[in-house]
Formats: sequence, structure tokens, C-alpha cells
Amino acid sequence: MVRPYAVKGRKHKKRKIEKVVEEQKDEVLEAEEEEGVKEEEAGSGGEAAEAEDERRAEEAVEQMAGIPIMPPVEGAKKPGVIFVLEKATLEIGKVGKAFHILNSDEHAHYLKKQNRNPADYRPDIIHQALLAIFDSPVTKAGRLQAVYVKTDKGVLFEIKPYVRIPRTFKRFSGLMLQLLQKLSITAVGKREKLLNVIKNPVTRHLPANSRRIGLSYSSEKLVDLNNYVAAAASDDVSLVFVVGAMAHGVIDKEYADDFIAISEYPLSAACCLNRICGALEQKWRIR
Amino acid sequence: MAKTKAQSKSSSSSNSKKKKSAKSLLSGPAAAAMKAAKPVRANPFETIWSRRKFDILGKKRKGEERRVGLARSLAIEKRKKTLLKEYEESTKSSKFLDKRIGEKDDTLQEFDKAVMRMQRERQLKLKRTSKYNLSDGEEDDSSMPQVDDFEDEIAPDDDDDAFLGTERSANSSKHLSLHLMPDSSETSLPDEEEKTYKSKKQVMLEIISKSKYYKAQKAKDREEDEHLMEKLDKDFTSLAQTDALLSLTQPSKMNALKALLNKSDGIQSSKASSGSADKESSVKKEQPDSYDKLVKELVLDRRAQPSDRTKTSEEIAQEERERLEKLEEERQKRMLATDDTSDEDSDGGDNSHEPALKNFRAVSGDDLGDSFSMDESVANKSGWVNDIYENQDVDDHDQNEVNSVDSESNDQEGSDDDDDDDDDGESDENDTSGNDFRSMSTMKDWEQSDDDDLDLDGEEAEGPDEGDMDVNNKMSMDMQKQDSLKSHKFSAMDKLTPTGPEALPFVIEAPNNLTELCSLLDNRSDTEVVEAINRIRACNSIRLAAENRKKMQVFYGVLLQYFAVLATRSPLNIKIIKSLVRPLIEMSAETPYFAAICARQRLIHVRTRFCDDIKIPGKSSWPTLKTLLLLRLWSLIFPCSDLRHVVMTPALLLMCEYLMRCPIESGRDVAIGSFLCSMVFSVTKQSRKFCPEAIVFLQTLLMSSIGLESGLQHHSQQFIHLKEIKGLKPWLSIRDQVCSVHPIDFLKVMDKQADSPFFASDNFKASMLLSVAETLKGFINIYEELSSFPEIFLPISALLHELLQKAKLPGMLRGNMEDIIDLIKKKTDEHHVLRQPLQMRKQKPVPIKLLNPKFEENFVKGRDYDPDRERAERKKMKKRLKSEKKGAVRELRKDNHFIFELKERDRMLEEEERAERYGKAMAFLQEQEHAFKSGQLGKGRKRRK
Repeated sequence: MVRPYAVKGRKHKKRKIEKVVEEQKDEVLEAEEEEGVKEEEAGSGGEAAEAEDERRAEEAVEQMAGIPIMPPVEGAKKPGVIFVLEKATLEIGKVGKAFHILNSDEHAHYLKKQNRNPADYRPDIIHQALLAIFDSPVTKAGRLQAVYVKTDKGVLFEIKPYVRIPRTFKRFSGLMLQLLQKLSITAVGKREKLLNVIKNPVTRHLPANSRRIGLSYSSEKLVDLNNYVAAAASDDVSLVFVVGAMAHGVIDKEYADDFIAISEYPLSAACCLNRICGALEQKWRIR
Repeated sequence: MAKTKAQSKSSSSSNSKKKKSAKSLLSGPAAAAMKAAKPVRANPFETIWSRRKFDILGKKRKGEERRVGLARSLAIEKRKKTLLKEYEESTKSSKFLDKRIGEKDDTLQEFDKAVMRMQRERQLKLKRTSKYNLSDGEEDDSSMPQVDDFEDEIAPDDDDDAFLGTERSANSSKHLSLHLMPDSSETSLPDEEEKTYKSKKQVMLEIISKSKYYKAQKAKDREEDEHLMEKLDKDFTSLAQTDALLSLTQPSKMNALKALLNKSDGIQSSKASSGSADKESSVKKEQPDSYDKLVKELVLDRRAQPSDRTKTSEEIAQEERERLEKLEEERQKRMLATDDTSDEDSDGGDNSHEPALKNFRAVSGDDLGDSFSMDESVANKSGWVNDIYENQDVDDHDQNEVNSVDSESNDQEGSDDDDDDDDDGESDENDTSGNDFRSMSTMKDWEQSDDDDLDLDGEEAEGPDEGDMDVNNKMSMDMQKQDSLKSHKFSAMDKLTPTGPEALPFVIEAPNNLTELCSLLDNRSDTEVVEAINRIRACNSIRLAAENRKKMQVFYGVLLQYFAVLATRSPLNIKIIKSLVRPLIEMSAETPYFAAICARQRLIHVRTRFCDDIKIPGKSSWPTLKTLLLLRLWSLIFPCSDLRHVVMTPALLLMCEYLMRCPIESGRDVAIGSFLCSMVFSVTKQSRKFCPEAIVFLQTLLMSSIGLESGLQHHSQQFIHLKEIKGLKPWLSIRDQVCSVHPIDFLKVMDKQADSPFFASDNFKASMLLSVAETLKGFINIYEELSSFPEIFLPISALLHELLQKAKLPGMLRGNMEDIIDLIKKKTDEHHVLRQPLQMRKQKPVPIKLLNPKFEENFVKGRDYDPDRERAERKKMKKRLKSEKKGAVRELRKDNHFIFELKERDRMLEEEERAERYGKAMAFLQEQEHAFKSGQLGKGRKRRK
């Protein structure tokens, strides 16, 4: 028996649930066959949900007998945060026969030979910055929405919030090398793309109701980050922080709504991100 | 392109007609344009640059500059060369083939082609067939007639032959070098020119002198070699004669070395004697020399190793310390026994064997090892060491009286003990041999019966418990049985053995059964007994021979029996018992597995006895002194701190069972119970296992000291359900406050009758209370970390409070009790402070699930990282196939275009032609028509018509 139109059944689902019993009685009738089918579908959905609940309850009971568990506070839609890391120096070079992410430590000689300034090639900055973001409780709590990285060369890629970033630099540069050549990285054992090179500019990927905040030491507007975040973050606006991941220079302030400095001192990207995450944790009460 | 060039340049060559015909086929202007375009510079409009999207520094990329226009025109050109020709020739029945040399190869320059052609021409001319052809007169006039006939045979490739060749060339006065030979080597040319001036004789002389020189050189070399060898031999012999080499090599090779020395001497002498030593030595060299063999062996030889330095005392101490630390660590691990505990009892031969092996280490790691004295906590009872020779079997006697249904062995024992009662302890050695023997045999019988059913039990229990018991042990058990049977049969043999006190033999065979041991040890003094055991152990040490293990196992069993027998003997010779402990511990370390089995069998036996006893009402089921002593012995032998142990766990359980199930019926029972409590304490002291039975028993004792009525009222509700209902009488309620409190002697107590007035005395009660208090204190100390500490000990402290209020306690005891109360209060307070109120369990926020990105270590673009190589290969092939297919389709399409264009052009030409013809015809007709209409047909003629 084939259900002709799934959409229809979906539409009337709510109403049908109330009539489960009588509908099932009528199921034999030829005329209401279709209805019955829909009903069954709805009923089975309900059962599935029930089974799920039971399973959860059992799990909880198994965890420790006797002591009741506080029901998890399930918030509705929570606002999230998006980070944009600008000017990350991720550049591939062919050193000898192998390809590498160019790095001022290892490839200084090579870079000099290629008439580049080795001091500019600092992929470790972006590594540290990403670790700072992905290690923070904000991320663990699931409030990170996405991370966008734009390289010096203008390649923009997105990192999903549930990626485990390699902790060693060598592995990280291996990952970046593959990403920049293959343009996407999948998860182990899945086809889901965790890192993906996307089209410029980054603004087309940012949500519509987002507040974009650029951070720069050079900005005139020196703010206290905690207060600023507390004021800026509201329930319907997702925050976008644009942080530079380069050794020297300044990010472009084209698409930033606000351009602030959070310290009187020039901060490293990782430190800056840590402070932002800290402020957000305070704001959202993540501990 | 090349073709056009060739055409333009080689226009002067002979077959220019063909070329011209070919040339006419090509479209002239296009070729000219190509020629002009290529060398000058690329037309920028023909070039398209592809954008670099993901740039890679340092990578050179092919084809990033695509010159579309150029490529197109090149392709068209190529088609013109191939397809056009084919097309044009398709309608022809014959065609021209260009077979000129080098014409197929596009890479060759025009000049090279010319050179090749020239070469070919010359080669042809050199051929024999063409030799006699008349020349054209212009090219090869000089060389041809002068070529010598020899020349063909010359093969100037070998060096040796080169000599001859040069000779010949020297002979021949012709200048071959001038002649252009394709195969004459250029290098030899100057030599030839020099050598032409030497005569043949000269050359020969030169050759001879050279060969002579070489020979002399060779001889000289050989001589030098020999000198060197001789020198080496000399050195070697001198070295070998010193001790240095001898000490380095193994003794087995010493002989070979010496033989070699002799031989080498011989060789030397022979060399000296014989003048033609050279040849002989050279012959000898062929055979494998003994020296060479020796050298090869020496290579394989073990290198000399430095012996260990003598250790200083600090180092020894350090090592000992490390060893002890390691042992302690192991013990701790076993105490916790987190993961591998389950398999210890459930499965396996190796698992149960290993801990047994470890046992010994652990025991020596524990500090209890070497004496049978009680621990400090039960110091009050350690006085039992002192007096020995009291009749101790009152209880047995008692038992017999009370319960006549007892086994006959016990009866025998009882009667025997009665006999022994008469003798004083000291008179043991002066005893008549007959009496001794009688006692011996009865004792043996007792043990025999004991042992027999023990063995049976063992056999029964083997299935579930000791499935892993190895054959060795079984055999030993069997042997034991057999021996015991033998001893039954040949008990008369015993009489043959000398019994009088004589000097202890130095070499003593291990006795196979108890009778032998008894006959050996009975009339000895304590020190002699120990000495005898030590000698037996020394003579039959396991390390000495393999079969000694069996012997020692049998001996161990016998010694254990002897120990048990001693414990039951009426005048308890505690000194001997104590002296037996040390060898027993050491021996069980040697045969840990067997020791464990013995202990287990005993335990099973004791437990069945206990179960039987407890069913009979009125009979005291408390353990006998023998059992107590054995339990104590095992607690010394085996590690008490293990979480699970083959012996100690059941032993502890048994002790607890005694405490739980045995009803207290007399003051003696109280003493035994408190002794058991202290033993439980000493066993659990390290592992801190919780034994509720001991605590409850102590509590019961305290309660009994208060007096029945109040004790039951207040406190019993809480825990009485834990115990079987005991006839709780005020065993320990002290009536008089002024009794003396001193540590009690447990052995003395054990000797007393159950209903003796001593147990009713306040002295006994006070000392019991003291021991109870001490044990309780110990338990408080070891259980202080239990989180249920307040719940366990608060009722006890309340009991103590009551005791202090109501009972008339001596001052010292009172102080003790107060101490305990304070201790409990302090610890309880600590626990209460640390306790947290019950609260809802908070669910930890679950972090989001992370996914690992999949990436390669060294990623190279284009390589397929599919682990399935076959699939990757297939994919690659498919890809190639597709691209090839596309390319082919494209080519075909373009070819078609080209052909179509050609046809179109032809058609257009034809059309044009036709149109022209048509026009002409039409014009003609028009003219005719015009003429006709105008009245004059034709021009001249028509007019004429």
C-alpha cells in the first residue's frame, strides 16, 4: 500500500492525533483507507517518540538508582556566535617534491628564495585561534554556529562547529593542506563535510539578523568586552566577530557593523578569542 | 612545416621533381604564414591565459598558458598534412611515397638530414657490390682504389689485437687514417701514426721487456706478502702463548689453538727446510686453513664480559629497599584488585598459580613473618606464650563427656589425652618408648582419619574448586595417601627405628608420613627439633633435585600435621609450635601452591566439622585451639591484604561465621570469641575490609557486660536481627569495682573447663573487657574512613556510655572506655562535618559530539586515497577512458569539420565551374537566339548563310 501524498498527511497530523482511536476502527473501510494510513503513520510517530522517552528515562535510571535527576533545562532557540577569521596565512607551497603549508619556521629559506617575507607566513596563528574557539565552553555548549576563515589569498572556508581540530600543528597543517587542495574535508566514516571551501564574500553566508563586530587594536573605540557583549547580545541577533589571524596588518572593515578594540594592548588572535568566549560564557551563563 | 623547409632548402637535390609535385599540393600561403608566425613571437590574440585559482607557490604548471589560436592553426596544419592527403588520394589509384632518409623524423634539422643522406650514400659506395662501379668522377676518386684488401679483416676493437692491428697498419704503408672509415676508432689514430715509425723487432722487444717487468713485479709482491704473513704468524704465536688470548677464548677452543700453534711451528720449520716452499704454500692456501676456521669461530665466540662489581653495603641496602618497595606496590595492587579479580577464582591454571607464587614475596614483604607472637593490639593475650605445660584438653574431654556420639578418633584422642594427663610436660623425653609409641600411633590415627576424609573432601572439591590442580600435586597427594596406608600396614616397622636420644644425623631423608617424623623428632629437645627440620630442608632442598619438590611437598604436609598434632597435645609445647612456624612459612614459600591446597582442604574440613557441630544442640561449636592456631598460622603464611585470596578469604569467612553462629554459652566462649575478633582485626588491619560480624560480636559482649535487661531494651533492636538469637546472659557484668585488671593468658583460659569458677571471677571479666576495648579501638582506627562510620560506631559509643554509667568498672578500664568514646565522637564529628545534604543530582551538561575530520598525512592532489586499491585503479581507468573518449570524439568532430570544409570548397569550386559553364552556354545560346531573332545566324558564317 503506497501512501500517495506524504505532505497531506503531515499537514493534518495534529488533528488526526486526537482521533487516533476512531480512525483506527474505521481503517477497514475502503473509503477511509487513505485517512487510516495517515493516521497510522501519525500513531507510529507518537509511539516512536514515546519509545524514545522511555529509553531516555531508563538510561537516566540506570545511571544512578535512587537519586532523582533534575530535568535538563531545555531552552528554545538560543542565539549563537559566529567567528570570522580574516587574513589567515594559509598558503601552499611546493617545497622539493612535496606540498606544504608554508611556515616561517620550516620554510624560511624557501620563502626567501621565492622572494617572500618569511615573517608573514604564520599558520600557527590560525591554529591557535581555532583551538581557542573550539576548546571554549561556548563551543562545547553548542552555541557556536560556524567559523569562517578567509586566507590571505582570498580563499574562504567554513568550519562546522562540531569539528575536532587537530591539536598538533603538524596535523593541522596536513588538514589545511588537504582542504586547500581538495576544497572540502569530510568526517571520518561519514560523508558530511566538516570543512568546506565556499564562495566569497563571507557576508553571503552570514545570517540576516547578525551583528558584525570587527576587532582591531587600531580602532578608536575601546570597550569593555563584557559590558559590550552584554549589551550587544540579544535573543534574536547572532553575533559575528571578525578577528584577524595575521601577524601584521589590519582587517578590512567593510562589512563590520562595529569596529572595536578590546584592549589597550595589541592582543594575539587566540587571546582575543579567549576573551570573547569568556565574555559570551558570562553572558549566557555557561560554566 | 619541416617538410616545407626541406623543400625550400633541398631544391638542388636530384629528385626535386617529386618534391615539387608534393609542394603543389600544399596551400602555399598558409604554410608561409605559419613559417613566419612561429619563430617571431606569439600572437597575443592567439594566447589565452588560464587564471590561477588556488595558487601553489613554487609549482610549475603545465598548460596554464593556452594558445588557442595557435593550437587551432597547428591542428589544421596537421590535418592538411594527413587528412587532406588521404582525402585527395582517396580517389587515386596510385600515390607518391616519400621514402627519403630522415623525412619521417620531424625532430631532425635539415642539415642533419643531409648528413644522414650523405652517410648512407657513402656506405652504399663502400659495399663490395658497388666496389667495381665506376665512379661519377666527382666525389670518391681518392679513397676507393687505395683501399687495401686487409682492411676488411681488421677488427679494431680488442686491445691485444690492437697491437697486431697497429703492426699491420705499420707494415702497410698506406694511410688508412685518411680514408673515411665509419668504424675506425678515432682514439687509435694518433697512436697508429706514432707506431708506424717502430720496426717489428722493436715492438717485440718492447713487449718482451714489459712482460718480464710484470713478472718481476708479481714475484716481488708475493715475497712481500710472505714476509708479512710470517710476521703475522710470529705475532700470533707469541700472543697465543701468553695468557691474554687464552683467557678470552673458551676452553674448548684452547686445544684447537694449541694445535694450531704446533702446526704453524711445523709449517715454519718445513718452510725453512724446503726451498720450494712457495708452491706448497700456494697449494695449502687453497684448502681451508685451520687458522681460518679458528678465526671464524672466534668471531662467533662470546665476547669477554666484565663481571659484576662487588656491591657496596649501601647498594645492597638500596636494592633491598627497592625490592621491598616493589613488593609493597604489588601488594597494594592486589589489595585493590580492580580489574582482574574475577578471573582469579573462575578460571585458569596460570592465574591461580601466579598469585600463589607471589604469596611468598608478599609474606616476606609483610612484617609479620618470623615469629608466632601476637600483634601489639592483642598484646594482652600474648602472655599465653609463657606457660605451657598445663593440661589443655579439658575441653576435648568435656566434649567427649557431653557428646558421646563423637567420632571414635576423637574418643581415642580423648582417652589418649587422658593418659597424657598423667604425665608432666617435662617428662616427655623421659617417657617410656612404648607409651610414646602408643600415643604416637593414636595420634597418627587421629590425624589419619582426619586426613583421610580430608583427602576425600579434596577429591570431591577438586572439580569445582581446584580444577586447575596440576598433576604433580595430585600425585603428591596420592603418594601421601599411599604412604599413610603403608604406615598403617607396617606400623611394626616403626619399632625398628632407633628411638633413644642420640646425636642428630646430618643427612636426614624427608619423612614420608607423620609416624616417621614423630619417630624422628619425638625425643628431641626443641632446639634439636628445629635443627632437624632445618637439616631435612637443607638436604632435600628443591633447588638440589627435581624430585625433591615432591618430597618436600610431602614433608610439608607431614609437618603441618605435626603442627596440628602438637596443638592438640595435652601439654601444649608452645615453644616447639612457635619454632615450627618459621620453617613452615619458609616452606610454604617454596611450594606456595601446595601450601594453599593444604590450607584449603583443612579449611573445608574444619568448616564441615563446624557445620555438623552446630546442628547438635548443646555442643559447643566454637573452634578448638588447634583450629585457632592453624588459622593464626595461615594468617601469617598467606597475605591478608589481598582483595581475594584462595586461603585467606575462606579463612576470614570461617572466622566470621564462628562469630556469627556460635552461641555464647560460657565465659570460655567469650574468650575464644574475643580472640577470634582480635584475629579478624589483625587479618583485616591492612586491607580494611569491613567485618560486621566482629563488630556485632564486640557489641554483644559489651551489652552482656551491662546486664541483660537494659542492654536488650535499648540497643538490640538495631542489630539483633543480624545475629542468631543468642542466650544473652550477663557474662561480663562486673560486680566488684576493685578487681585487678591485667592482660589475660589465652592459653590458660583455653585450658580451663567451661564451667570453672574462673570465668565468673571479676578479674577474668575485667581483662576480657579490656581486650574487647583494645580490639574495638583497633577496629575504630581501621574503619575510620568508611562513610558509614557514625552509623556503625555510634550505637557502640552509646553502649559504652551506658556501661560507664551503670557498671562498676575498674579505673583503668573506665579510662580506656572513655578514650574509645572520645575517639568515636571525634571521628563521627569529622564524618558529620564532611557529610553533604542529600540533593538532586545535577545532570552535567553534555558537550556536543565532535567529529574527526578525515585527512591524509601527506596529501598529494590527484592521488586516490581509496583504501581499496582495485577500486581506485578502476576509477582511474574509467577517468582515463572518459577523457580519451572525449578527446577522440573531439578529434573526429574536428576531422569531420575539416573534411566538410574541403568538400564544401570542392563543391563550391565545382559549382562555380558549372555556373561558369552554364553562363557560357547561356551566353552562347543567348547570342544564338539574339542572332536568330535579329535575322542573322552566326557572325560571319551565319551571315554567310
